[in-house]
Amino acid sequence: MFTKFEHFAATSLMGSPEEAPPRRAGHLHFDRDWEKMAFGVAIALSKQGHYEWEEFRQMLMVTIKEWETTHALDDPEWDYYQCWLTTLEKMIVKSGVLASGELEAEAMQLLNCKATHS
Amino acid sequence: MPSNYPGFQYDADRETFSAAKVKALESLLIEKGVITGNTVDTVLGYFETEMGPFNGAKLVARAWVDPDFKARLIADCNAACDELDFPAGMSGAEGEHMRIVENTPAVHNVIVCTLCSCYPWPTLGLPPYWFKDPTFRARVVREPRVVLAEFGVELDESVEVRVWDSSAQIRWWVLPMRPAGTEGMSEEALAALLTPEAMMGVATVQV
Repeated sequence: MFTKFEHFAATSLMGSPEEAPPRRAGHLHFDRDWEKMAFGVAIALSKQGHYEWEEFRQMLMVTIKEWETTHALDDPEWDYYQCWLTTLEKMIVKSGVLASGELEAEAMQLLNCKATHS
Repeated sequence: MPSNYPGFQYDADRETFSAAKVKALESLLIEKGVITGNTVDTVLGYFETEMGPFNGAKLVARAWVDPDFKARLIADCNAACDELDFPAGMSGAEGEHMRIVENTPAVHNVIVCTLCSCYPWPTLGLPPYWFKDPTFRARVVREPRVVLAEFGVELDESVEVRVWDSSAQIRWWVLPMRPAGTEGMSEEALAALLTPEAMMGVATVQV
């Protein structure tokens, strides 16, 4: 898992020549399936005109800033795609694609369903 | 991908909830007809095949062999992109206003986005995870020489380091120095030497 590793990379790993930042050779790299989906949906909704990409970017900046003002910069809880997902949720409600609370309700239903069937 | 570093684990509850939320989002959007089952794959496919550091590498290799093209690339990156046979829409998301800065024996450039993760997607693809890290973003501005040394870029004291902070207005990237010993190499062979890191300024080009 790489999210906490992101922090590790920039603070200590970066200094070690044998463990230089991994090269992606131009290929997309997502550590978790939901990151990929959250990324693709954010771009797709922008391309469809539900919001301007610049609005998304501004909201992402605000979300990251909120995290940084409430955590130490080297807090291992740092998770870029959590910020991304939070931003996406805000933009989806702001642009009226989904109503506020609609996503949580659906997610809870999925989780409950899973709990019931497992 | 499993971690090489035991002990780095996500919070299980948060992970489960995030995954469920994204799953819920996907099914709601499909249900409402906002996206189809293929939309995300199409978007990702575009990044995989159309937007990536292979584009930046072609531009830099051309600039190395053609001084006139280099001048045009530095003067107007987006216009120079149009000269090469890149797919339509290259200048789309995150590529609106790209600018390239040239490394020379006297000046070394490095890019960052201090506020979030702006990056020239059309020429470099998506940023690596460390580029988005709060520590990297803060430190590269405060102590660029130290950070560069950690990446293995050792610069002489006489070399000026310039840090370029990307924003909505300008997405910066770096034109690295052509390494010695590459005289007579083809453009294709030169392009193969380039890495995203070199075009971010955190590495030099190695033969």
